[in-house]
Parts: sequence; structure tokens; C-alpha cells
Amino acid sequence: MEDTSATLLARIQQHDPQALADVYDRYFDQLYRYLTYRLGETEVAADLTGEVFLALANALQRDKPPQSSLSGWLYTVARNLAADYIKEKMRTVALVDDLVSDEPSLSDQAHLAHLAPFLREAILQLTEEQQHVIALRFGQELSLAETAGIMEKSTGAVKALQHRALASLARFMPDAGGEG
Amino acid sequence: MTDRFESILDESISALQAGVSLDDILAEVPEYADQLRPLLFASSLLADPNPRLVPEQKKADLRAEYLRQVADLPVLPVPTVSQKSQAIYRIIKRRLTREAVINDLVTIVITLAVTLSLMALILNVLAVEAIPGDLLYPIKRTSESVRLNLTFDAPGRANLADQFNQRRLYEIEQLVAQNRAALVEFNGLLESKGDNLWVIEGYTIFLPDDVRLDPALQEGDRVQVVGFLRTNNVLVADTITAWP
Repeated sequence: MEDTSATLLARIQQHDPQALADVYDRYFDQLYRYLTYRLGETEVAADLTGEVFLALANALQRDKPPQSSLSGWLYTVARNLAADYIKEKMRTVALVDDLVSDEPSLSDQAHLAHLAPFLREAILQLTEEQQHVIALRFGQELSLAETAGIMEKSTGAVKALQHRALASLARFMPDAGGEG
Repeated sequence: MTDRFESILDESISALQAGVSLDDILAEVPEYADQLRPLLFASSLLADPNPRLVPEQKKADLRAEYLRQVADLPVLPVPTVSQKSQAIYRIIKRRLTREAVINDLVTIVITLAVTLSLMALILNVLAVEAIPGDLLYPIKRTSESVRLNLTFDAPGRANLADQFNQRRLYEIEQLVAQNRAALVEFNGLLESKGDNLWVIEGYTIFLPDDVRLDPALQEGDRVQVVGFLRTNNVLVADTITAWP
């Protein structure tokens, strides 16, 4: 039977070799997907995912293992790595003219596909915390409760963050308009 | 924006992710449709249509690197109950510094003081309408005593004492109206003296044989009465003394 997150954490804290391998196999794809969504660059995402696990190894070597939530700890490291990478790269995006344009109806699928890359750039204009929520809720399709667990916040706080993030993004949507 | 709207938004996002169309979702909540539309439209673009997997070779290389890093970690024994107890003891011992104890004591004292003050305040408010015989009546009288003792200017104190005496008289009226017996106390003008019946502040008071009273009292004096109001509305005096 597969370990629960708490059991796996306890075994990792004991440096159980099998648990150390299991954590990689269980979380690698999720974290890679999260980082790909945040960064949009598969090569970088793969390298940073590897770094998440090296950070875990380093934490264990320093006798500072995750204490309360294994997934929360891993996603926090991934989030920080993503934020550092984005900050360093600092892609400045000229959003407004391209996005708020006189495009035709947005119900057109081709137009949605056209908007998607612009939206990705718009995401980068959100606060780092809002980007994290968007990546977890939409990139990972995690539930509100799962997102709240990883972020160690209440579901109410996550709902509010999600709302603010979508409202900011919606302002860039032609035709659909803002919230008012 | 309300919590309700944020909950509806979240439910709508879940529906969208489950494949329900935007129009169907908005039709369910027409009152929020205008607000939801742009947010759900943005949501619809946020899904990752083609979640990518890392190439297997890359994943294997990263795994090998990670496992190399953790290979030398010594396997730690599972702590026994005794070790856990010792760890808890060490944590408590570390916590028991002079500063921490003082901080805790200050916190406890402040918490207690605030709690007791709040309780006193609430009881005081609840006791305002109490009359003799009620559970909260002693609180009302204690509160009045405290106020009197904390009023240091003579006119203010006399004014307050008079105000409280009016309450005593009003309480007697309430007791009579409710046909209740109780120990009562008030001061007033001695208007008429008979053998067994005196009239004080408009109340006829019966003087039993064992009543304690000041023999020097004269009509027109201000007197303090302590007595028992019976259920037949007869006020039987226990003590009648000169009002200071």
C-alpha cells in the first residue's frame, strides 16, 4: 500500500533509502508540470525540478528535514526557484496594446489559441503569490483544499487570491471586459 | 467582494474544469453572470492543454544525481517512547527560561484581568434591573457601594446616595407590585409617629415589640429604615436609626 504523505515524511526524516527514492517518483512529474506551467520552458523546468530534490537532500544532510507537510515543502522550494528564475530573467512584457485590442468575438477557438501566449505573459504581471495559486489551481488542477494545504493558507484566503488573480487577468481580455 | 461570490467563482471554475460550458455555468447563476463572465473566460485560457512530461532519460539522470546525494545519509533509528519523552522534556526545559516564565505570567495576569473585568461589566449591566431577592441583586448593591466609595467630593457623593435611595424606593414598589417578600432598606422623612405604626417617606411601617430604634427620633427627622416587606405588603421594621 502506498504511504500517505505523513508516513512518507516520517520515513524521510529517518533517511529511509526507499522513502527517499519514493518521494522522487511520487512528486517529480507534479513538480515538473508546476514549473513548466510557471516558466513555460521545459528544459529549465526539468533542471529546476532536479534542484528541488537536491534541496531536499541538502536539507536532510543539514538535519533540517521538512517538518509538517512534505508536499508543501517541495512546492515551496519549487515556487522559490521559479520566482528567482523569473526575477533574474525579468522578461518585461508589453501587454496592453496587444491584449486590449479590437479583436473579433472571443468565442472563436482560434482566437482563444491566439490569446493564450499573451495570457501567459499577463500571468507574469501578477504578484508572485497569485502566480503560485494560478499554477496550482489551473496548471495542476488541484482542488481548493489541496492548494490551501500546499500554501499553508485557509481555503478562504486561497479563494480571495484566486479571485484577485483572475480579476487582474480579466482586465486584459478584450470583449469579455473587466469586473466593473 | 463577498465570500459568497468567491465561493460561486470557485465552484464555477471546478465546473469549467469538469467540462461544463461557460454559457451553462452562467445560466445557473444569472445574477452573477456579468461579474463571472470575464473571470471564467480568463480561467478557460489558464488550463494547461498539453501537460508535458520530462524525457525519461533526463528524469533518470536527475534521479541518479539526487540518489547519489542522499546515498550517504545514515539511516536514523526510529525514536523510542523514552527518546520522545526526553525530547519533549528538553523542549520544555529550553522554554523554561526566566524571561519566558515572566512573559507567560504577564500574559496570564493580563488575560485574567481582562476576563474578570469583562465579566464584571456584563454582570453589572445584567444586574441593573435586579430587585431584592434576585440572584444578581447583591452585585447591584456592591457596584453601588464601589461607586459611592470612589466618589470623593461631598456634594457628588450626597447626590449619588440620594439617587441610590430613589432606587431603593422604586424597588419596594416593584416588590409590592409583584407581591414578593424581601428584606428592604431605605432612608426617608419620618412623617408621623404612632404606637406601632410610623409613616416614613409615605410608607406605613409596622413596629414590632423587638424593633430596634433610636428613642430620640422626632417627626421631621430623616431616618434609615431596615425592615422586611411581607407578601401582604406590610413593611415590618427591624431597625430605624437617624440618617447621618
